Amino acid sequence: MTDYSKPLPKLNGDNRQFWEGCRAHELRFQQCTACGLVRWPPSFLCPRCHATESTCRIASGLGTVFTYTVYHTAFHPGFASELPYVVAVVALDEGPHVLTNIVGCRPEEVKCDQRVKVVWDEVTETITLPKFAPL
Amino acid sequence: MLESGLCNYVLISYGHSALSSDSMMQMLTDLSGDDAVFGHFGATGGYALAARRAMHTFGTGPETWKQIAMGQRQWADLNPQAVMHGKTMSSEDYDHSRWVVEPLRLLDNCLITDGGRAIVVTSLERARDLKQPPVVILGMGQHDQPAEIGQALTMDGPTGAKKAGEAALAMAGITLNDVDACQLYDCFTYTVEITLQDYGFFGPGEGKDWFQGGTIAPGGRMPVNTSGGQLSEAYFMGLTPLAEAAMQIMGRCGRRQLGPATGTREPRIVLCSDNGGILQSHSCIILGRS
Ligand SMILES: [Zn+2]
Repeated sequence: MTDYSKPLPKLNGDNRQFWEGCRAHELRFQQCTACGLVRWPPSFLCPRCHATESTCRIASGLGTVFTYTVYHTAFHPGFASELPYVVAVVALDEGPHVLTNIVGCRPEEVKCDQRVKVVWDEVTETITLPKFAPL
Repeated sequence: MLESGLCNYVLISYGHSALSSDSMMQMLTDLSGDDAVFGHFGATGGYALAARRAMHTFGTGPETWKQIAMGQRQWADLNPQAVMHGKTMSSEDYDHSRWVVEPLRLLDNCLITDGGRAIVVTSLERARDLKQPPVVILGMGQHDQPAEIGQALTMDGPTGAKKAGEAALAMAGITLNDVDACQLYDCFTYTVEITLQDYGFFGPGEGKDWFQGGTIAPGGRMPVNTSGGQLSEAYFMGLTPLAEAAMQIMGRCGRRQLGPATGTREPRIVLCSDNGGILQSHSCIILGRS
């Protein structure tokens, strides 16, 4: 685990709930108490109605591929052995769009609007990354 | 500031040792934030996400982008200052160009360049006494769709270009039919397509036909990025297109000069764009003869 060579998320007061959720294999988002919007990235105010109150909503982990790319260039040495790999924006069924990787299939099998489900990649003792694989 | 007398001249300049240092790539990597966790870096990846979405929603793709890359390269071949001067690009060259971040190939990417550009803005009264014929600002517009690429819903349009373009045309009191040429921010080939599409030159997905037959190239009916642009001349942010527009209107462009010599319309009105982030901010400026 200690030889993990890729960038890790920088935890702060806003995103800690999300990354601690991932460690527990839960996708935890803020849901606006006033209008119901499930939002990402985390924020103090609801971007739709500006209310400040929110509760924690655990997403199902199901979603669709909104868009994706296939990286053929390693912009960081940690990814050189992964090429080609897929970076995608996944639209979760609850609403939020998250940037992630599509795994569990060949890059040429990924399509927009494809159904995907979260899979957990435990990269260090404290950090687990939510990635997605075809259903 | 000029009209109120606070100043007499404004110098707009840009210079960067982007090629001989790693500062451009470092800046783009730093902007990635936690997206880097998933191996998402810089500008090519972000525009590749946008381009892929556009392929899905309105059926664009490499056949359209190739026309942009090749058309601008033809202009670069008429510009001795262009980095890609003398390096012609065939259809096969484009097709065999390596993927950087799919669906964008190397030849869909702009250059990274050492150098700079500068423009002096002053009053029309003062400009009339200067060495070069004056170029006037006919209209300006600005509009943003500021969501990050991970949350953006307008990566396949309409980007900020739609409202920015409408505002600039309205201020100038003209329509697209009055535009003789465009100098656009062209960080990637797809940026040129979505910008022209959002300005209203063609409908979603119609670019595939619109660009065919050298529309934007020398001899074409709507020349675009006549220096070669950021794809084939040099990358100086928004000053690559803006400086070229001013120089074309002044008539200082040598072999690539718009008009009879290149089989194009006289550059009386030139529409320019700039955009920032991943299609997140947009400026449109229309320049013309005084
Ligand atoms: Zn709300």
